[in-house]
Amino acid sequence: MSLRRRLLVAFAFAGAALALAFLLLPVAAIFLRVPPGRLLHLLTSPVVIDALVVSAKTSLIAQVLILLLGTPLAYFLATTRFRGRGALVTLVELPLVLPPAVAGLGLLAAFGRVGLLGSTVDAVGLAIPFTQTAVVLAVAFVASPLYIRQAIAVFEAVDPDLIAASRTLGAGSMRTFFRVVLPLARGGLAAGEALAFARGLGELGATIMFAGSLRGVTQTLPLAIYEQFSLNFDTALAMGALLVVVSAVLLVFLKVILAWQPSRLTSGFPFARST
Amino acid sequence: MRVVLVAVLAAVLVGTAAAHSDATRPTVYAAASLTDAFPKIAPGGRYSFGGSNALAAQIRQGAPADVFASANMTLPQKLHDDGFCSQPVVFTRNKLVVIVPSSNPAGIRSVYDLRRHGIKLVLAAQGVPVGSYTLQVLRNMNLTSVLKNVVSRETDVREVLAKVALGEADAGFVYSTDARTVPKKVRALKIPAWAQPKVQYGICVVTASSHKPAARAFVKRVLSTAGQKILLRYGFLRRVKR
Repeated sequence: MSLRRRLLVAFAFAGAALALAFLLLPVAAIFLRVPPGRLLHLLTSPVVIDALVVSAKTSLIAQVLILLLGTPLAYFLATTRFRGRGALVTLVELPLVLPPAVAGLGLLAAFGRVGLLGSTVDAVGLAIPFTQTAVVLAVAFVASPLYIRQAIAVFEAVDPDLIAASRTLGAGSMRTFFRVVLPLARGGLAAGEALAFARGLGELGATIMFAGSLRGVTQTLPLAIYEQFSLNFDTALAMGALLVVVSAVLLVFLKVILAWQPSRLTSGFPFARST
Repeated sequence: MRVVLVAVLAAVLVGTAAAHSDATRPTVYAAASLTDAFPKIAPGGRYSFGGSNALAAQIRQGAPADVFASANMTLPQKLHDDGFCSQPVVFTRNKLVVIVPSSNPAGIRSVYDLRRHGIKLVLAAQGVPVGSYTLQVLRNMNLTSVLKNVVSRETDVREVLAKVALGEADAGFVYSTDARTVPKKVRALKIPAWAQPKVQYGICVVTASSHKPAARAFVKRVLSTAGQKILLRYGFLRRVKR
């Protein structure tokens, strides 16, 4: 090896090690600053329990909504060809890259009391801002594109010959969807859902603008971290540690699913495989 | 490894230092209620406005603040006791009002109306100075029952103002100086003088500041006749009660 080449390799190696340290250090620091026993103890404080309950409840409802409404939309977008389809897919994906503060503004402008639909919603006796419904909407808005995007890719990858075979054998389109398409797409859909769940769990900006922050009602874990930062830094760290663990579990789950799936069904998946 | 990482961080700091090295421009961490007045007093300052409690927490975590101006005396006094800033002095005072959107959807005419069922009341969070003052007012007036109408606890006074000005909340507690900033959007309802808490703003020079002369000059300017005049113009009260 020439000297120049050796220098280049050394430089690349140092750069890689540096990048690795940079990415791992903040996560490690959350666990290292306070002894683990105290972190666990802090997790049982009432403010954490309340935030955990709110986060679990709103996430669950939001994710069920995403699955129930996002799946048909994704299937429609994956199987139908029409003018402007590309533009529509891009619009559906837009909340993904939108700054959360903009998402909060949009939700207020649309569903707020003085928003676009505000008077209609108010007339029915529903007030959305400051309620758990607002949290669910904020989470669904920012997280659903992750699922829908992945679902479109997965549905597109299902072999059309298998669908045709099912239809020629006499199965209706519904039966074909539930017996052929869904089982084939299952893994990829679960992967998209795991990502959407992780994103929804971390939602802060849109929620704090649209739903406010009230303990036990709209204060999710990220909002509680934000509040505890100035009240009790250690409690904020404990919740941070909890979210790191949950996120890590979700990521591992995602990778396991993807390792199971034949690649042709998950084409277009944007994350690196660990296996 | 550690050395290299620190070296790289130092390099990044040097690269971004232009934003911090100007010795004549102090970085001022100030209560959100000072958002409009402070830049008028010292246009050259660099400001970070927010809940005083969040700012104090940031200073404890080593934020590069030169001056801390809080909406109470307890936070800067605690920082001083722990060696984070100089002995704070009172530089202005304020009072609380109840605000309602100018459309007043809930038809609130006095503080006592806040007890009505179903009113959407927005307060500042526990620990934010205006949040503690609000609790004092409610205790003074025997109105703690209105706390059941609270729909959100915001991170600073301007967030409370925004939620009411938008018309999303029916009422909120803010300083009278905040209500004046959006006269078309909110209406202020008076809180009787006997129920008012002692709202004193404290200012101090951050111990870790690397621009101490600029920081001291800023504090001097705020306390000067000219500085006090500007605060009065924005509706703040004289720093010593007469």
